[in-house]
Amino acid sequence: MTEYQLRIQRYDPEQDDTPRLQRYTVSGDHTTSVLDALLSLQQQQDPTLALRWSCRMAICGSCGVMVNGIPKLGCKTFLRDYNGVIDIAPLAHFAVEKDLIVDMTPFLAHLSAIQPYLINDKDDKAPHKQTPAQLAKYQQFSNCINCGLCYAACPQFGLNPEFLGPAAITLAQRYNLDSRDNGKASRMSQLNGNNGAWGCTFVGSCSEVCPKQLDPAAAVNQAKVESAKDFIINLFKI
Amino acid sequence: MSTPDNARKPYHSRMTRDWWLQQRYYRLYMLREATVLPLLFFLGCLLYGLYSLQHSEMQWLSFAQFMQQGWVIALNALALLASLYHAKTFFALFPRVMPLAPPLLMVAGQWLASLAVIITLLWLAGVS
Repeated sequence: MTEYQLRIQRYDPEQDDTPRLQRYTVSGDHTTSVLDALLSLQQQQDPTLALRWSCRMAICGSCGVMVNGIPKLGCKTFLRDYNGVIDIAPLAHFAVEKDLIVDMTPFLAHLSAIQPYLINDKDDKAPHKQTPAQLAKYQQFSNCINCGLCYAACPQFGLNPEFLGPAAITLAQRYNLDSRDNGKASRMSQLNGNNGAWGCTFVGSCSEVCPKQLDPAAAVNQAKVESAKDFIINLFKI
Repeated sequence: MSTPDNARKPYHSRMTRDWWLQQRYYRLYMLREATVLPLLFFLGCLLYGLYSLQHSEMQWLSFAQFMQQGWVIALNALALLASLYHAKTFFALFPRVMPLAPPLLMVAGQWLASLAVIITLLWLAGVS
């Protein structure tokens, strides 16, 4: 067992006006994840520590935190990969409710704004068939677990909270590329604006931190191509 | 009595002006964006050259003299390096935005196309 030093950003809305840092020592081995460490702290040293978690296997996307300033899933990040004091803070660019818990409401609002569901006028009850090639077009972008790490990594979202952001635009691309969907026209109005795809300057850090390797930066910039095409096509429409 | 709504006091942190200094990834991004700065100087030289060309022979000679100064050559060399770095980042990002072929093939193709353009321009300029 090894001793690890953690410096955790704490914030108690009932007592604090600004967050403060608190140091802890936890023991762990080479299998101890950041989430394991936080849970053992909460259970054995400090029951007041608040954090969000669920599956412990990088599926639910609940345990996102900043580890040494980089957004990470706590369950997929291991203490063995760090030296010295490890800084743990809530996800950047979101309002902190308590300790490591942030308010994800803006993120969820952006996700729902792009109508993330199949839009299809067809009335028939027949199944919507899809070939493997049609599936391959959007499959990569459909693996999002809504963890919000890309928003914590995106300086454009940090500077402008109205920016739809990486996950929402990736989700829009996911549905726009789906052969069973006809809703592209209604999603383009969201993507075309300054708060849509054009708010992105291809920093690319969203793709770096994505725990599912979705490459949201690619999706956002593919949406720019679609937006440009949409603009030109509309020039010729009466 | 406090209700869940008014018991909330979310803390909103602000991004500092030096946010881009705090991570290597952001620093590289800003370096990529900053490549436009030496390029502005090069564009200034280009416009000055065009103006001198249509103005008079004397003006053109003074432009040629200006361009031979050490600091002008150094800044233009910096502009060339900056453009090459920007090209490297752009060529690497392009296959992700328009996945038309395997990424490595696309990156190699873009460098080859750039080389072809440079050779053609040199040939047109009479450099043998």
